Amino acid sequence: MESLEGKRGLPRIKPPFPATHGLYNKPTVVNNIETLANLPYIVGRGPEWFASIGSPPKSTGTRVFCVSGHVKQPGNYEVPMGVTFRELIYEHAGGMRSDKPLKAFIPGGASAPFLTPSHLDVKLDFESVAAAGSMLGSGGVTVMEEGTDMVWAALRLMEFFYHESCGKCSPCREGSSWLVQTMRRIVAKRGQMQDLETLVDLCKNIEGRTVCAFGDASVAPIMSTLKHWRPEYVTLIQEAESANLIKLEPAGVRH
Amino acid sequence: MDNITAEHVRLTIDGISISVPKGTLVIEAARRVGVMIPHFCYHPKLKPDANCRMCLVEVERMPKLQTSCSTVATEGMTVRTATTVVHNAHKSVLEFILANHPLDCPVCDQGGKCDLQDFSHQYTATSRFAETKRIFQKEYFSPLIETQMNRCVQCLRCVRYCDEVMDVKALAPIGRGTMTEIKSFGAHPLDCEFCGGCVQICPVGAITSRLSMYEYRPWMLKRADTVCMFCGDGCQITVQTKDQELIEVNSAQGAGRNSGDLCARGFFGFRAASHPDRLTHPLIRRNGALVEATWEEALEFVAEHTKRLKLSHGPQAFGGLISGRCTNEELYLFQKFMRLTIGTNNLDSSARYGHINGVQAMRSVQGTHRWTVTFEDIVQADVLLLIGTNITEANPITGLKVKEAVKKHEATLLTIEAIQPAIGTISNISNLSKQHVCVAPSQFGAAVLGLLKAVVEGNHIDSTLRQQAPDYVSAVSQAIQQLDWEDLAVSTGVSSESFVQMAASLAGGRRVVALAGQTLLRSQGAYGVCLNLLDLLLLTGKLTAQGCGFAPLAEENNDQGAVEMGAVSALLPGVLDLTDRDARDQITRAWKEDLPVATGATLIEMIGLAQTGIIKGLFIVGENPVGSLPPQTGVKEALSKLDLLVCQELFLTETAALAHVVLPAASAMEKAGTFTNTEGHVQAVRPAIDPVGDSRPDWEILSAFSVFLGAPLEYGDAKEILKEIRAVIPGYGSLGPSPIPPAVDPAAVDRYMNEGYRRDLATRYTLPARDVRQDGTVQLGLTQSLFHSGKLSTYSTGLLQIEPSGLLQMNPVDAARLGLDAGDRVRLSNGQGKFTTTVKVLDRVPEGLAWLPDHFAQDALRLFDCVVDPDTKVPSYRTASVSVVKTA
Repeated sequence: MESLEGKRGLPRIKPPFPATHGLYNKPTVVNNIETLANLPYIVGRGPEWFASIGSPPKSTGTRVFCVSGHVKQPGNYEVPMGVTFRELIYEHAGGMRSDKPLKAFIPGGASAPFLTPSHLDVKLDFESVAAAGSMLGSGGVTVMEEGTDMVWAALRLMEFFYHESCGKCSPCREGSSWLVQTMRRIVAKRGQMQDLETLVDLCKNIEGRTVCAFGDASVAPIMSTLKHWRPEYVTLIQEAESANLIKLEPAGVRH
Repeated sequence: MDNITAEHVRLTIDGISISVPKGTLVIEAARRVGVMIPHFCYHPKLKPDANCRMCLVEVERMPKLQTSCSTVATEGMTVRTATTVVHNAHKSVLEFILANHPLDCPVCDQGGKCDLQDFSHQYTATSRFAETKRIFQKEYFSPLIETQMNRCVQCLRCVRYCDEVMDVKALAPIGRGTMTEIKSFGAHPLDCEFCGGCVQICPVGAITSRLSMYEYRPWMLKRADTVCMFCGDGCQITVQTKDQELIEVNSAQGAGRNSGDLCARGFFGFRAASHPDRLTHPLIRRNGALVEATWEEALEFVAEHTKRLKLSHGPQAFGGLISGRCTNEELYLFQKFMRLTIGTNNLDSSARYGHINGVQAMRSVQGTHRWTVTFEDIVQADVLLLIGTNITEANPITGLKVKEAVKKHEATLLTIEAIQPAIGTISNISNLSKQHVCVAPSQFGAAVLGLLKAVVEGNHIDSTLRQQAPDYVSAVSQAIQQLDWEDLAVSTGVSSESFVQMAASLAGGRRVVALAGQTLLRSQGAYGVCLNLLDLLLLTGKLTAQGCGFAPLAEENNDQGAVEMGAVSALLPGVLDLTDRDARDQITRAWKEDLPVATGATLIEMIGLAQTGIIKGLFIVGENPVGSLPPQTGVKEALSKLDLLVCQELFLTETAALAHVVLPAASAMEKAGTFTNTEGHVQAVRPAIDPVGDSRPDWEILSAFSVFLGAPLEYGDAKEILKEIRAVIPGYGSLGPSPIPPAVDPAAVDRYMNEGYRRDLATRYTLPARDVRQDGTVQLGLTQSLFHSGKLSTYSTGLLQIEPSGLLQMNPVDAARLGLDAGDRVRLSNGQGKFTTTVKVLDRVPEGLAWLPDHFAQDALRLFDCVVDPDTKVPSYRTASVSVVKTA
């Protein structure tokens, strides 16, 4: 809306919400194309028909999932809500690329925390994914096979959030740059053990304190990879320590 | 009672219950109970942006921490600011903000008054940030404002202030994420109003003033709260000094009538007082040259010659002229000195250049010499009529009140001014107008008549007034009916529909304020136009209604005081007519001495009398008639003929150069007293430094004269004079935080409606003469520049860096027609002389007009005719028809 009004693309403070004070201060409804695309069918065939598909009570109808990553047939798949990830990945998307075991997947776009193979039987509906500790978000499912460097994967996503942070509010603006720099250091084998604690702290300090939901989203990759694959971080840092690369001086000593 | 509770909400902050007006933000409610919530981006003047996240608090029944700067207090809300969760949140946000901060406090001018520094101490913040800090390329920003973007906390206060308050929009954030930096538009140094608002509002050292760069730490400075010496807005400033050196001027948020806002003159103009050319010793003319002398010698010289001239030619051989930049105490003492010690009413002040037109009109119609409204009424007005004032340049802070009314309170702004709406580097009030009519300055009167005609024909006349004063209403109606819409359209270039529309807006307003500026007040026939404007308000019932009124804007800081102190020939202190026997008796009783009865000569009359040799001695205090008046008034020759010309001055002006004695005067930075601003508010002036060199305050010099002349007017300090003023002028109020405006005097309005209007109605209700413009000519007008005011600002190094010389400002169409480009040298000429200057092309100048800033137009004055108003004796020389030719 800010961009439509010719301004910089920055989030607005809510309340007031767009439904009462939106574009040019007029009531405005903002919807995804996905939502709008469903409308003709709901209007044409009736809400009962729509509700009969999927996984009631909340997750009815179909959704288009964009499966990408290490699968044989990446692409967009429209499935009724409520099918399992196993079905989506192994049946629709043709299974893993080189038949390696699955290591991790993101269920709903870059802002959704990573899930593990133990979550493959989770149903693709809002409630089930939330219960598994993630979210269905945009429906962008990214699949990673065994052998993927999870720290690198988290960094890759963090680079995206760092680049996309608009810079309006301090925690997201400063936090994303800080996180990405620390992550780069760890991946480059220049990390230290206390970095892990700092990463968690920073993530917690960003979460829930930003103007928009982007801040909350930006900490998901690091938080979830640290939760499920912490040893990979530790390994990188131990390699760094054993290689005895030049240690950074602690902040505040230099003048 | 119900009403009060309905508009208030009760909430609890840290266990303290408080009731606040509905709509109050939590951060403000907390401030009221003494809880300071840390913040960077919040500022009471600005809309909440909630970007720094420093002000997070816990609010009961809300899952996440809330930013108190954007959360509105609601009934029953419970807020906690002192919990561990909140403390940790503040600490963590501070850690983020500090992450990329260069921590260069030792070389940062903000050190000691920096919010970031203070909060870091408060939260004993340390940063675990060990990565590389982002660094912005250092770029030259502007001659007066320095930026150090590495220190920026991206709170955007500067950007928001520049847009929301100033309406200039000179600054913008560029880049994204951590690379967000504040820059000006375009690939050139900052070109804006230089109000200094961004410097004042920056919570850290990212935007600082170059005038005082690296010169001080806040705790080294001594502060004096005083009043700005430039325009009539009367802004409170805090002058900061180190020893006897003027370091910086600022204005505390919410302070004074300006509520902390300043313009370029106020913020960057202060160094005028410490210019090296200041006079520091008395000078006496010996063998044709001015040579240094002691005070004793100078005073004796003045006394001796005064006594001699008075003995042989009588008191009427003297005249006096004082600047409206002196304090009330000095203006009062000056007229007392002239009237008692010398014994003449031949005295005048710079209020004669235009301000008196507005004051006399108010006196004639509404019986007051002050506004009946205040700045607050401007802010709260629902309809504002601005006529003949490019307010954002002439009276920038009154302009801010107008902007606030329009931008924050959606007031309807109607403007009549010789300006075009156009986007530029400085704000343009007509951009905010609901309805703007662009009229040449000579035709402002015609525009007001157009409005009056529309009011009469549109049946907008107040019904009670019809009954109360049928004769007046019908006389005005008849007079206005004589005018033809077509003639009006030819004169003004504006259609009748525009006037009809504007009149309807005016009549429909509930709180209507009409502001008249210098472009009108200094124009020919301005007194009559002011009366017509008052007629307009009277007819529509907007003269006496609550929140309505007429507000003529003073150009100089104490023009209003000059009139009130009786420093004009026909008026006694308290703005009483000299011809009024009761008034004379009242002053005589107070002074215990008889007043001279002979009518006094005004400015132009005194020059005439000096020319003919009747006036032989002239006392001039801070005025420079030789530099201000067109040469064809014969001012220089007249003053050269005098037997005694005494000047009290800061600088050796053109007038002082002719004097027999020049006495070094102290500037407003060096003396105590009071100034009265344009709204009639009397405010304290306090010295920030000691008088420069041997200079003395003007009142001390006048007092010394009187002692040497054997009729002592002695006072211990300026306060004693103020005490006497209070005794002489009944009801001369104490110095409160805001003015208490007088009400319209119903008896005076009755007098006006019964007979007052009859005197000149016929002449006032005729169209002013039209300018005949030939090919190749433009109508040259003198305008007030935002960056200069009066004669002092051209001594200010800061202001001269923004506007070092006066450029001829022309519309692009005219420039193209005359084959001119920006930067071309041109010769302006007419029958009276010629003047060479440089062209600047500016969209806001209307076609057919050209502007020259007043303060650099001294040599161009010969192009102007000087016409003296028959009623108010105001000399007007503001427009001239000139041909413009490019020179090689």
